[in-house]
Amino acid sequence: MVGEIFEFQGQRWHLLPEKAVFWEEEQALIVSDIHLGKATHFRKAGIAVPSGIGQEDLFRLQKLIIRYLPVRVIIVGDMFHSAENSEVQYFKLWRQQFANVTFELVEGNHDIMATAVYEQLQITVHESLTIRDIHFIHEPCDEANGFRYTFSGHLHPAYVMQGTGKQRLRLPCFYFGKHCGILPAFGHFTGHASIDTSETDIVFVIAGKTIIRAQ
Amino acid sequence: MQQRSGGWKVINKWLEDKELKPFKFQEDAWKAYLQGKSGIVNAPTGFGKTFSLFLGAVISWIDSHPKDYSGKTKNGLQLLWVTPLRALAKDLGRAMETALQELNVSWEVGIRSGDTATSVRAAQKRQMPEVLIITPESLHVLMGQKEYANIFKKLHTVVVDEWHELIGSKRGVQVELALSRLRGLKAGALKVWGISATIGNLDEALEVLLGPYHKDGIIIRSNLKKNIALKSVIPDEIENYPWAGHLGIRMLPQALPIIEESQTTLVFTNTRSQSEIWYQALLKADPMLAGALALHHGSIDQELRIWVEEALHNGILKAVVCTASLDLGVDFRPVDIVIQVGSPKGVARFLQRAGRSGHQPGAVSRIFFLPTHALELVEAAALKAAINEGLVESRMPVLLAFDVLLQYLMTLAVSDGFYASEIYEEVKKTFCYQDLTEDEWTWLLAFLTTGGDALGGYDEFKKVEREGDFYICRNRTMAMRHRLHIGTIVSDAMLNVKFLSGGYVGVIEEGFISRLQPGDTFTLAGRNLEFVMIKDMTVLVRKSNAKRTIVPSYQGGRIPLSSNLGRMLREKFNEALSRKTSDPELIALQPLFRLQEELSHIPKDNELLIEQIKTKDGYHLFVYPFEGRLVHEVMAALLAYRISRIQPITFSIAMNDYGFELLSDQPIPVTAENAKMLLSTDNLLTELQTSVNATEMARRKFRDIAVISGLIFQGYPGKHKANRHLQSSASLLFNVFKDYDPDNLLLRQAFNEAFFYQMEEARLRETLERIAVSRIVITTPEKLTPFCFPIKVDSLRDTMTSEKLEDRIKKLIAVNG
Repeated sequence: MVGEIFEFQGQRWHLLPEKAVFWEEEQALIVSDIHLGKATHFRKAGIAVPSGIGQEDLFRLQKLIIRYLPVRVIIVGDMFHSAENSEVQYFKLWRQQFANVTFELVEGNHDIMATAVYEQLQITVHESLTIRDIHFIHEPCDEANGFRYTFSGHLHPAYVMQGTGKQRLRLPCFYFGKHCGILPAFGHFTGHASIDTSETDIVFVIAGKTIIRAQ
Repeated sequence: MQQRSGGWKVINKWLEDKELKPFKFQEDAWKAYLQGKSGIVNAPTGFGKTFSLFLGAVISWIDSHPKDYSGKTKNGLQLLWVTPLRALAKDLGRAMETALQELNVSWEVGIRSGDTATSVRAAQKRQMPEVLIITPESLHVLMGQKEYANIFKKLHTVVVDEWHELIGSKRGVQVELALSRLRGLKAGALKVWGISATIGNLDEALEVLLGPYHKDGIIIRSNLKKNIALKSVIPDEIENYPWAGHLGIRMLPQALPIIEESQTTLVFTNTRSQSEIWYQALLKADPMLAGALALHHGSIDQELRIWVEEALHNGILKAVVCTASLDLGVDFRPVDIVIQVGSPKGVARFLQRAGRSGHQPGAVSRIFFLPTHALELVEAAALKAAINEGLVESRMPVLLAFDVLLQYLMTLAVSDGFYASEIYEEVKKTFCYQDLTEDEWTWLLAFLTTGGDALGGYDEFKKVEREGDFYICRNRTMAMRHRLHIGTIVSDAMLNVKFLSGGYVGVIEEGFISRLQPGDTFTLAGRNLEFVMIKDMTVLVRKSNAKRTIVPSYQGGRIPLSSNLGRMLREKFNEALSRKTSDPELIALQPLFRLQEELSHIPKDNELLIEQIKTKDGYHLFVYPFEGRLVHEVMAALLAYRISRIQPITFSIAMNDYGFELLSDQPIPVTAENAKMLLSTDNLLTELQTSVNATEMARRKFRDIAVISGLIFQGYPGKHKANRHLQSSASLLFNVFKDYDPDNLLLRQAFNEAFFYQMEEARLRETLERIAVSRIVITTPEKLTPFCFPIKVDSLRDTMTSEKLEDRIKKLIAVNG
């Protein structure tokens, strides 16, 4: 797969079709809204969704870590879907292969497990995180908040394109607004929400295995 | 038999006292019933179909209890009366109770539906009435209770009312499954009767109802004919560019005198939004109607609907604007006129609606057809001809509905549990599941016990426990959730609408409300409302005085043209062309036909018309097979696919009941030379599978399947918040199944439903065969024609492409600058 290197706010951001961003200057891999444990949470309640989704998501993350060798992984919220379950235990085992990589979680509305659990999993939890004046917070902000730029998740953004002959396409996207950028949801078992954009916004859509700038 | 039956004599005496005589079909039914037979009674509405079976059971009871039939109480449930509509239950119950009282039979009549109060349910649990009127869903709920078998100990007869309404739907499958269990409990000793209006496949309807016992079944047909007087309301001025956008409102001045001159009028519209608009417009046009005009559709508060029905009975309403919600057989005697706004799209539905007026035996049903656009007048002429020829549509029974079966198995699991081998035998005997394989059965059981493809150690799936051949759900939370969930009628997620100050208005589709901003105004239940906010799955509103409001549109509203009506339609065009017609509808349309002929062509019934037109939107190709929207949708995709193999091209596709449109940003290479080849039946099945966006169609079908099979958790009433983490959309589930569990049977069912029900593959093949022997006429009109106009402006759209995703995106970007 090929990404798109986007130079923005004086930094180099590799936008990846795996729905992640590699931040070159910081050697950091950034993802959002993985919703680990969601399938198991459903299955525990007797709803027979396929059971392997979480493992596949982690496998995709694993391949990214091996390819980019980041010093840290930043998760912009909703890393886990709900209360602790067996997928969390699976993550614990999976985590061991990357003992040298730090996992920094910016708390999302779904991250409701007890503090001790995150400690066990060697995940550092932050309400928000700021590096080089780039701010990470789960829910997007509408207005300027004093930081150089802000990255969020939460929305699972998708971009709708229309053209002549009444054609229409809807694709997951990386969105860069005036003050705030929104990352696509990393987890496979997550939906999308169409976003409204204004003319000055920058949008990259994920078209299969490539990234295309849409506006 | 009549001589030997004491009960029969009691009934005859009772009728004689009322100066009534039974119809022959009623006596035939009593006789067959007393002989212990099962079967179907087929008679038009208004001739006492109910009594043909109900009194049969009463006669039999009197015969077997000649001495104490009037004093003997607490006899247990004898007769189960399944009805598709809750609204019907009350009227039926009333009619039965009156008869029982006058006959001095001490039976009780009870009602069981989603509306039955908890106290009544509890009383029924202690002592079941002798007659229970029940919906298919509630019957399954009964079977989901502990020791449910006790309820049915004395049961000897099940009557399924309005079987023609149920047979083509998954609710019909629910009836089949419930009957299979009851027959199992009774070791086959159960009389099963259906009541059905005339449909094209009545013999098959019998087979579906009785399963393996159908060879002994009997169909009792009445020779009574309902007289129908159909009159079209012809517009004063025929518009040459017909479109349905104004929903027939322009014809309202001509509808008013009809309403004024009649006692009570039912105004049938095809969608709920249309009924709201008509209601408002009628009130505006004639303020005198205030208080005497009511609105009735599926999204209106139950209590209000009941009030409207009562008021109809009592004759205090002048008119009711309604939808299919009033299609079924409740008997509103004061109704003497029906107005059908827009095409009913099928002969059977039209007959049903016409039958809502003149409900007394022998009375004439009077119905006015009011077109929403001029071309619909041709449909009126076609309807008349179809009625004269006795052409009525068939209702195809649903096959292999795995979702309903999963729900049923779960129902049995939460009651007393079930033995798989026993239930398998019963299920295999139903029409729906006669071709169920053992592999599929094993998969279904695994779906409930291990959640399908369990990956071992880390899995925490919990639902049904297996103990050898015995399956049971011991988890109380899950059992409770399932009982609340039983039912197969699914619509778009509906939200309750309430006033801020309290007070319930009705329900509305989530998809509609999500497009509104606070402060926007919309119309529901005839009221103008301002949207305030959504809170806890409830839409909060306040009253609004706004003049202009948005009327919600509902997904379920669009019904495709039936094939019978399509054929008649083509004949009528032929007739119109001959200029020798005597149909007033066709004569009125002459100016429009002349314009069509001038600009393009009117196809004869051995011709297929194709129009190629260029406008600022792009290059249009219009094709007119007159086969109904569903067939057109698939044909359009097939044609688009075949053209797209000639060159990379993207189409947007639109269709209505008369034809379809391919629209592209480049010229469409269809010529007189290649048209036949592009519309041939060669490689139909394989090309269909690649061409039609089967995935998208299946995705739409999967919504219902996911809800029915319990994959989508709708939450407990009034307790939505706690389960937020268990919510997901059907579309998302569809994606994960497709990617991670492609062999899932529910997924396969979604594709099957898309192919057989949505795409109507058989009908498409017939159409293409017809086209193969037709002459293809291609015209290139300078501007839009009367035929293509309604397709261009009113229809649904789809996309078909052979261009690469990246190329399409680049084009879209280029266009939008």
